[in-house]
Amino acid sequence: MSGHKESILREPLITGQNITYSKITSDILLPVENKPNRAWWIGFIIALCGAMLWVFAVSYTFWFGIGSWGLNKTVGWAWDITGFVWWVGIGHAGTLISAVLLLFRQNWRNSINRSAEAMTIFAVICAATYVVSHMGRPWLAYWVLPLPNQFGSLWVNFNSPLVWDMFAISTYFSVSLLFWYTGLLPDIATIRDRATGLRRRIYSIFSFGWSGNVKTWQRFEAVSLILAGISTPLVLSVHTIVSMDFATSVIPGWHTTIFPPYFVAGAIFSGFAMVLTLLLVARKVLGLENYITMFHIESMNKIIILTGSIVGVAYLTEFFIAWYSGSEYEQYAFINRSTGPYWWAYWMMMTCNVISPQLLWFKKIRTNIAATWILSIVVNIGMWFERFVIIVTSLHRDYIPSSWAMFYPTWVDVSVFIGSIGLFFTLFLLFLRVLPSIAIAEVKLLLKSASEQAKLEQIKEGHLDKEQVAEYIGSLDKFDSVKQEEYAKI
Amino acid sequence: MESNKKYWKGLEEYKNTPDFVENNKNEFAESLPIEDVLNEAGLSTVTPRRDFLKALGFGLGAVTLAACQTAPIHKSIPYLVKPEEVVPGIPNYYVSSFNGQSILVKTREGRPIKIEPNPNAGGFFNGTDAQAQASVLDLYDVSKLQFPVKKDGSNGLTKSNWAEIDKFVQAELSKAQASGKKIRIVSSSVNSPSTKAVIADFTAAYPTTKHVQYDAISYTGIIKANENSFGKAVVPKYNFDKADLIVSFGADFLGTWISGEEFTAQYVSNRNQKSLSQGKMSRHFQFEAGMSMTGTNADTRVPIKLSEEGPALIALYNAITGANLAGGILGNNVIADKALKLVAKELLQNKGKSVVVCGSNDVSTQILVNAINSAIGSYGTTIDLDNPNKRYAGNDAEFAEFINEMNRGEVAAVFFLDSNPAYDVANAKAFTDGLAKVGLKVSFSDRQDETSSLCDVIAINHNYLESWGDANAYEGYYSIVQPTINPVFNSRQAEESLLIWSNAPVKEYYQYVRNNWEATILPVLGKTWKDVLQTGVFASAPKPAGTYAFSLSLAAVIPSILSNSKALVKDIELEVYESTGMRNGKYANNAFLQELPDPVSKVTWDNYIALAPKFAEKLGFKEFDIVSVKDDKGYSIELPVLIQPGQAQGTASIALGYGRTKAGKAGNDVGRNAYPFVSFTNGTSKYATTVKLEATGKRDELAQTQTHHSFEGRSIIREASFTAYKKNPAAGSGNDHAKHKTYDLWDKYEKPGNNWVMAIDLNACTGCGSCIVACNVENNIPVVGKDEVRRRREMHWIRIDRYYSFNVEGEGHGEAAHGEHGAHSNGINSVTKEKEIAHLDNMDNVSVVHQPMLCQHCDHAPCETVCPVLATTHSSDGLNHMAYNRCVGTRYCANNCPYKVRRFNWFNYWNDSRFDNYLNNEFTQLVLNPDVTTRSRGVMEKCTMCIQRIQSGKLQAKIEKRPLKDGEIKMACQQACSANAIIFGDGNDPNSEVSKALRSERTYYVLEEINVQPGIGYMTKIRNTDTTVHA
Repeated sequence: MSGHKESILREPLITGQNITYSKITSDILLPVENKPNRAWWIGFIIALCGAMLWVFAVSYTFWFGIGSWGLNKTVGWAWDITGFVWWVGIGHAGTLISAVLLLFRQNWRNSINRSAEAMTIFAVICAATYVVSHMGRPWLAYWVLPLPNQFGSLWVNFNSPLVWDMFAISTYFSVSLLFWYTGLLPDIATIRDRATGLRRRIYSIFSFGWSGNVKTWQRFEAVSLILAGISTPLVLSVHTIVSMDFATSVIPGWHTTIFPPYFVAGAIFSGFAMVLTLLLVARKVLGLENYITMFHIESMNKIIILTGSIVGVAYLTEFFIAWYSGSEYEQYAFINRSTGPYWWAYWMMMTCNVISPQLLWFKKIRTNIAATWILSIVVNIGMWFERFVIIVTSLHRDYIPSSWAMFYPTWVDVSVFIGSIGLFFTLFLLFLRVLPSIAIAEVKLLLKSASEQAKLEQIKEGHLDKEQVAEYIGSLDKFDSVKQEEYAKI
Repeated sequence: MESNKKYWKGLEEYKNTPDFVENNKNEFAESLPIEDVLNEAGLSTVTPRRDFLKALGFGLGAVTLAACQTAPIHKSIPYLVKPEEVVPGIPNYYVSSFNGQSILVKTREGRPIKIEPNPNAGGFFNGTDAQAQASVLDLYDVSKLQFPVKKDGSNGLTKSNWAEIDKFVQAELSKAQASGKKIRIVSSSVNSPSTKAVIADFTAAYPTTKHVQYDAISYTGIIKANENSFGKAVVPKYNFDKADLIVSFGADFLGTWISGEEFTAQYVSNRNQKSLSQGKMSRHFQFEAGMSMTGTNADTRVPIKLSEEGPALIALYNAITGANLAGGILGNNVIADKALKLVAKELLQNKGKSVVVCGSNDVSTQILVNAINSAIGSYGTTIDLDNPNKRYAGNDAEFAEFINEMNRGEVAAVFFLDSNPAYDVANAKAFTDGLAKVGLKVSFSDRQDETSSLCDVIAINHNYLESWGDANAYEGYYSIVQPTINPVFNSRQAEESLLIWSNAPVKEYYQYVRNNWEATILPVLGKTWKDVLQTGVFASAPKPAGTYAFSLSLAAVIPSILSNSKALVKDIELEVYESTGMRNGKYANNAFLQELPDPVSKVTWDNYIALAPKFAEKLGFKEFDIVSVKDDKGYSIELPVLIQPGQAQGTASIALGYGRTKAGKAGNDVGRNAYPFVSFTNGTSKYATTVKLEATGKRDELAQTQTHHSFEGRSIIREASFTAYKKNPAAGSGNDHAKHKTYDLWDKYEKPGNNWVMAIDLNACTGCGSCIVACNVENNIPVVGKDEVRRRREMHWIRIDRYYSFNVEGEGHGEAAHGEHGAHSNGINSVTKEKEIAHLDNMDNVSVVHQPMLCQHCDHAPCETVCPVLATTHSSDGLNHMAYNRCVGTRYCANNCPYKVRRFNWFNYWNDSRFDNYLNNEFTQLVLNPDVTTRSRGVMEKCTMCIQRIQSGKLQAKIEKRPLKDGEIKMACQQACSANAIIFGDGNDPNSEVSKALRSERTYYVLEEINVQPGIGYMTKIRNTDTTVHA
């Protein structure tokens, strides 16, 4: 990967001059090896308050019962499963970036995969809390596992998508965790090598005796590839199975064969949006502009516009099929979605997921950090509404009109959701403090081949096609981390 | 028990040897080596490491094991001496009576837990009403007094005892006797022969006594009218089964009017599958202001204002007899006018096979109704004056006079039996003012209600399930009341109290009843007392019903009718009506009835003011706006608005029976009291008045179990006109054309033994809701309270879906109508979609269908496949099982249930102080059916098809070594249904009732198109509409 020099036509993956291996290490480990700054503390305290709210709201639910949520006889799932699917969806980008892009040799993933994977793990944790907390008797949650037991010969129901879900999510979580941790090993070893005292001992334990010799690196590469191979189908399977919670049911608006691809696209869509939300802030606050560059941001925006459009096509297809099916229940479900009492949720979803991402067709917008950041949040608002629309508007008016009902959230519903965001950010901020937010070892691989300084050297050597060089230099305009003076001289 | 016997343990003790004496001093026969252990050496022994570890291990292990199981504490007391007839686990049934209807009381281990109809009851006592079903709960009501109370100076009512009370009452009675002033016994109508005899005995002992009977919902008008017209002061026996044409003016005869459950059975016998298959169906016209349950069942329902009722009857009389009485003009109401002409024509065609009933309590109006009935030959066929209904004998005038007597200070003592005038008389102030002037005030109420709390003594009466007694519902029809439990509290039967106070020779009421029966009733019937206790009911052959001809002049009554009518033409005409659940308010503290949705509005836990959609719009009120309702007398209450399709324009309706202030913890302050709107004119109470409405700017959402009221043209409801049915019995059912071929993912279930299925006849169901209460009681279904119902969380396993559709006639509505299921016409042209309804100009012509909805026990149940833990599975006899213990509460099954019949325990309703409607105490929990577990929070539940009944039926057959008989096992809902709308049985048996019903051309399955293969078939709703009326 690193042996050759990358074509000048490709935009640099690391910007800045005078970047050395040592500087990379120091830059990335800056937050890990130093006291947290004020921005981190402010963020952490807010996030922790959110997490405490989550603890309180979930404890309240456990103590008094699910009735403290706004659910009713008709709408048995609402904010809980909306939140669950939303978090699982967000968790999708991590594996896609770490596994699929690895297999496709997309080197630009090296700068963002660590944070994306961490995000995946925390998002899946948030999703898992919903799995347990939405149960009427959460203390029996382990019954959905096929454990040998003494309750007669009771087994789980392998026909139930919830059991598939349980397998899918737990597999996804374990593989993601393993993949993430494997990637972390050389970096933990790096921290260990630079640390002293207790920190050294702790990182020493967690580095699993990483020695950095050639054999270790070779095995590391092999394991990474194998895990990438294992993870890749999971990218498709997890949300496919989550979508089957709905698709295998009989409820109009749920019973839809288009769900698996549509959910996977939506998940990637929201996952990349969340990566952007997090990293745009992190790169600024942690000073990582040289490693997470405009190229990364733009690439992710391109994925967002692609997946967002897939989702948009799916929405329209659903409507077409509802009409084409001739099924009155199906038709009503979709008319009700867009014009019924929850019309605002539907149009919120349409605006946030289909219309606003189209702005990213404009290069100005997709290379504008502020605009990108706002759009990334808009996308996740839209994706939350997508799940809300699918779950609540399908349930609240299904077959028998006598049972039609409205769902109104209670303060507990809202608190559990806001609290889960707090929990997520608490975990993420702690991660930033104790582990490198960028894969040091993997980024170093890019330094000699794909960094701005390597390319500048190539240009200075002067063997390159002038037009190509001009085009390359032109492409650097959008980078907020490239000093243009160097190029003015050429 | 003391005994002087002494047992000795051995010869040593007997002989008292010195050795024995010495040893006996010590606690232990041999000395214990305590000293050895406790001495220096013992304490300093070294514990080896292994021993220490063993002890530690054992200790930890033991503690852990002990902690694993929290041993629940069950407080149960075994029988010391087991009563011979009580076998734990086996119910005993006793005959008794409720409101004159013979019933069976199911008791388990000595406690009554369920009311069932008595199969011996005969007549049209097919089922039981919701009140009878719910009445077991009243026995276990914690709001009742536990002991008699007596006014004690300034301390108010304090705990007393019977001796003290007897002394006090007798002393006061002697004083009253001596003063020569009046003594009054005030009660609601008494039909019990023994109670009447007791009162007669009491009157003999205290000759100034008079028994004043009044009913909060009065039938004095009918009684007086019959006295006037035919010299018989009775409520007649109505035979709706003999009527091919029924015309009702505001009489809710299927619900609250006189004897709703019985009339339902009669009515349905001319409209159910059996009758239809013989090509016969009665026709029912309803003219009324508010939408009553009966109105929802009418073939043609015409909204008329209250002020139009009199003129309509006059017009009908004129049209039938050709007379020319003045005032029979319905100028503005063109539809009513047209309908009346048609009704008159059809009445004349159906002479002797029709009946006209009227809900009015006005004597003049009822006299006119008598005249009409006489003209169409109803007497002797559909109306029987010779075997009258004995349940209502109230006399409004006598009661009004009693209030005057009190106010004049003429009454020295008053006894209130089964009556609560401080709550339910119109002029409560006159009553309470008068009452204050009475020397001795005794109430037999079981609680401190509105009236009894004003009394000197509350001599708490037994609940009817603790009582002896009898009833006489009809002439010659007697039934017994026998206790099914020992009195729970220190109560005494009212009759016994009266016997004691009148110093009667026989003071024990059991003996008194028995003597009375043996002396007067049994010799006539040639039966013994034991027969009575076994069968519960005796009827002598009914007298032949005579034909009566109305021969009086109507000259006097017409002006009275017209002036009543004219008085209502002002402001907004208000009808106050008896609510189907609460009835007259007596059952207000019964949580089952409070949560029973109104059959029409589906509102629970509240009353409201019903306004027609267009009228409310005109007045500027939206649904749930709180308006202030004010009458001329200055009484005003604030009630939320309910938009009621079918309500006559310009009118409003408010239910009685609400607004109790001292009913108990479930019933207090539920709704507002509408009794003060009742007026007293021309000797009877009138339930119509005029009011003004004012906006208050407040809003209060009513707790409705159904908030969407149209069925959106979906084939879940299938209906046909009778004309179309006669042409093609499958009309509208979707059975007359080829169905799609279906493909199954799943294997068919083997059902080697039974296949439990159900058939529900939509043409029989009137929507009364007694099945709901029966199911609640049978299956320990928790009452969740108003707020939870408002959150759409009621727990009812069976519900009755009520849909409105709006009839459109004539041209141009083809598209809006849902009349084209398949290629074949069902003869019905109506608008059923919400969005189209919103554009209708005329919303008066509303049709209603009631659809009981419960778990359909689908063969391909969507709930079963999605449960992750197999908590809901299919049985080999066609049932969908629910294992509460296995449920973890993901609610996926409920989401995936297309019928939305699964109910989730959002909280621990039956044992959570926040839902303390009735069940959060050990006493009330005695009402629970021990065969059905209570469900904890976080668990899904739903209709089990009364699996406990199926099991016990199978077991009984097995014990008796015989196959199950069809009809042997009855569902609780089925059993309560007077209309026999629900048939349950074995689908594997081709000759079972249910199999026959399911083979009917009318049978369809709700949502059969999604191939969940439901186990409950529905039979189409057939409407015997006349299409010309509303055209």
